[in-house]
Formats: sequence, C-alpha cells, structure tokens
Amino acid sequence: MASTIVTFELGGREVEVLVRPMTTLQSVLRNQLGQTATKDGCRQGGCGSCTVLVDGEPMASCLLPIEDVAGRRVTTLESLTPAEGLHPVQQAFVDEYAFQCGYCTPGMVMLSKALLDHDPAPNDEAIGQALAGNLCRCTGYRPIVDAIRHASGAMSGHDTEPVR
Amino acid sequence: MTVQAYLLPRSLPEALGQLAQHGLDVLVMAGGTVAMPLINDGISLPSVVMGLRLAGLDGVERANGRLRIGATTTLTQLLQQNAVPVLREAARNTASWSIRNMGTVGGNLFTPPPGGDVAVALLALDASVTLSSSRSARVVSLADFYTGFMTNELAPDELLAELWVPISNEPTAFLKYGRKHANTPAVVTVAARVTWDGPTVADARIALGAAGPHPIRARDAERLLVGTDLGTDAIAAASAAAARECEPFTDAIATEWYRRRMVGLFVGRALQQLAPGAATEDR
Repeated sequence: MASTIVTFELGGREVEVLVRPMTTLQSVLRNQLGQTATKDGCRQGGCGSCTVLVDGEPMASCLLPIEDVAGRRVTTLESLTPAEGLHPVQQAFVDEYAFQCGYCTPGMVMLSKALLDHDPAPNDEAIGQALAGNLCRCTGYRPIVDAIRHASGAMSGHDTEPVR
Repeated sequence: MTVQAYLLPRSLPEALGQLAQHGLDVLVMAGGTVAMPLINDGISLPSVVMGLRLAGLDGVERANGRLRIGATTTLTQLLQQNAVPVLREAARNTASWSIRNMGTVGGNLFTPPPGGDVAVALLALDASVTLSSSRSARVVSLADFYTGFMTNELAPDELLAELWVPISNEPTAFLKYGRKHANTPAVVTVAARVTWDGPTVADARIALGAAGPHPIRARDAERLLVGTDLGTDAIAAASAAAARECEPFTDAIATEWYRRRMVGLFVGRALQQLAPGAATEDR
C-alpha cells in the first residue's frame, strides 16, 4: 500500500503527515502527532469523545479519513488551550465540576466551543440538542449544561456566578 | 488497515471513470458515517474505497418547481434550505450534530433501517434520483429505487449523483418515534402527505421507516384514503391497514410486535395532522 503525504492546518500551524490510505484523523492526531486529548472511544461516531472542529464545525474524527481534511483547518483541545491558563469553556467546566473521569471532556469542550460560536446564548433545549451525540457516563449532563451556560455568560462579557 | 487505495475524485466524470475502471471492487463512500464504522471494526474489508467528499456533488438549488439536492449535500446543509420544510424536520431528527456535518442526503438512502429517516421523508415527497454512469444517466423514482434489504436499482458502474424533490405547498407530516428525544434510532418513522380534490382526498402517500427492509410505502393504507374526507373513520382504517401491511423487525431498539403497533399509532397521528381542521402548522 502506497503511503501519501497529507498537509492540513492544525491549531494555526501547517502540519504534514505521511499516512497509509484512509488513516483516520483521530489516529493521526493521537498516534502520529501526540495530540491525545482527542479520545479513542467507540470508533463508530456514536460517543462523541473524538469530536474535533474541521473548519470550525464539529466532526467525529474517528470517521474522517485524513485525506479528506487536506488543506482544511483542524482545531483540537490542544489548539484551543491557551499557553497560559484555560479557555473560558474549559474554566467553566472546572468551575461547574462538569466532569469526573474526564474521558468525554475533550469532545464536550470542542462541541461546546462550536455551539457558542454558532449561538452565543443557547438555552437548555439548544444545548441538549447540540450535546445529543456526546455521551457522558459520570455527570448526568446537568453540570455540563450549567458549564456551557456559565461559559456563555463569561464569553459575552457578562461574567455570571456559576449556575446552580 | 487493509485499504490499498483511497480514491478521491474531484468531479462526477472523474468519479464515474474510476468506478467504470474498478467496478464492484470499489466501496463508494460519501460522509463515511455508515461505511467508516464497519471499516474501523474490520467488518468491511474493502481494498479500494472511493470517497465522494471532494467530488463537488453537494449543493441545494431550486430548478423548475423542484428542489435539486446534490448527493453529497450534508444533513446540515439540508437544514439550511427553506424550500421543503419537512426535509429540515427530517434532518433535524437524524443523528447528532457532528454526524449531520458529515452524513449526506444521498448516503441516507443507503443507510440500513432503523436508520435512513431522511429517506422516509423523501419517499413521501415522491422524490426521484439520478443514477449516473460514464455511459448515461437515468432518473428513477425513489419508490422504485429500493429492491430489498441493502439492495437497490444501482448498477455496478452507476453513482447516485443527485436527488429531485417536487416543491409544493401541501403540508407533509413527519413523525419520528425513538427511545430518546434526539440522536436516536427509530422505533418507527412516518411521513405522510395527501393531495385534495375539493373536500376529498385525491391521492395519499404514506412512507414508513424501520418498518421493513428499506423505507417503504404503505400502499394499502394509501388506497383506503382516496375518496374519503380524511375523517376519523378513514384515518382509523388506514392506520390499521398500515400496521397490517408493514414488515417491521426486532432489534435492540424495539420488537417487531411493538413496532407494528407503533406504525398504527403514528400513521394515525401523522394523518390527523393533515386532516381538515387540524391545527395548521407550517411543516
């Protein structure tokens, strides 16, 4: 099988990888680029733990052949995290205790970031619809919904007390 | 990973040329939401895969009273059109956000039940599909497209290139019943539409999902409605007929017994939405 070189943008930098045909974006991120925030959950597109943003839109990286993202902009949790401190969505997840084991968290944070980009003030219904493809077996989801509402306030400049 | 070659054609002619060359040896994939899980699990072991994501087949446009939907239009793109509101409703009730960003309208026609909810709406809308090969292109009604479980009219050298949906002001009812509110496989999906000749039903189309080997029309139920006023008795008779004629199955979501009863219930509810005097809701 002939390997090919694929170039794409990752966190604002151009990266080039040598891959076998149809290697998934998930595998390239984790195994070739060492970006292990993107999790390897079900490999079925069913759990959301591998969610990354491609040109700003959430996608399941386990279902995406790397060739399909050539020339496109990929954003992972590593790209989102500032050099110092945390992104407001990450801070909100900490403040609201929105994780326990943490396995779903990278996917949840990426999806939350995309949601707030589309809808800066989502209501619970919109949050529930957006999160429907991301499973969490620890929190019961309520703290995650609260974290998104909290982040929404923080990012719009109306820093609110954590929602209770 | 056993895939020897991943073809990424940049146009329909290029895709058709590659298909003619590789024939049945190539697995055609659009959004990858059905094919990739099987490949990841080693259930599907194709040596050559053709990905259509870059082939320029996406896009939605009005053309001569119809909506033309390119085969690789994503479900998210389908949510953004306004010409046929029920297709938005169907897309909104299919899978999750990330999957809707990847999964395509054309691919939804190849999704085995209980998936394929958009296909159910398309069937009720009397959509047709263009099957293209390097030799020719033909248009086939979606009602004639399916031939069995995971089998269809597509010849080995053909691709489903686009879909055509008549645009009309008649409302179409769409109801999906699953075990969760969102991102859920269907217990049953029903799409229904009637056309009127004055106070009586001139024609009816009822499409069912998760109630057969592929999205099916409830023909007996449709026939019973023609000439009626879509009153309570007509709806009850059609619902019972649909429950009799459907061919549901048992899986992890629901039993055959339960699905058959839910077909009856949800066909009734869908028809009630279309009945005179029903709360008019733009669908």
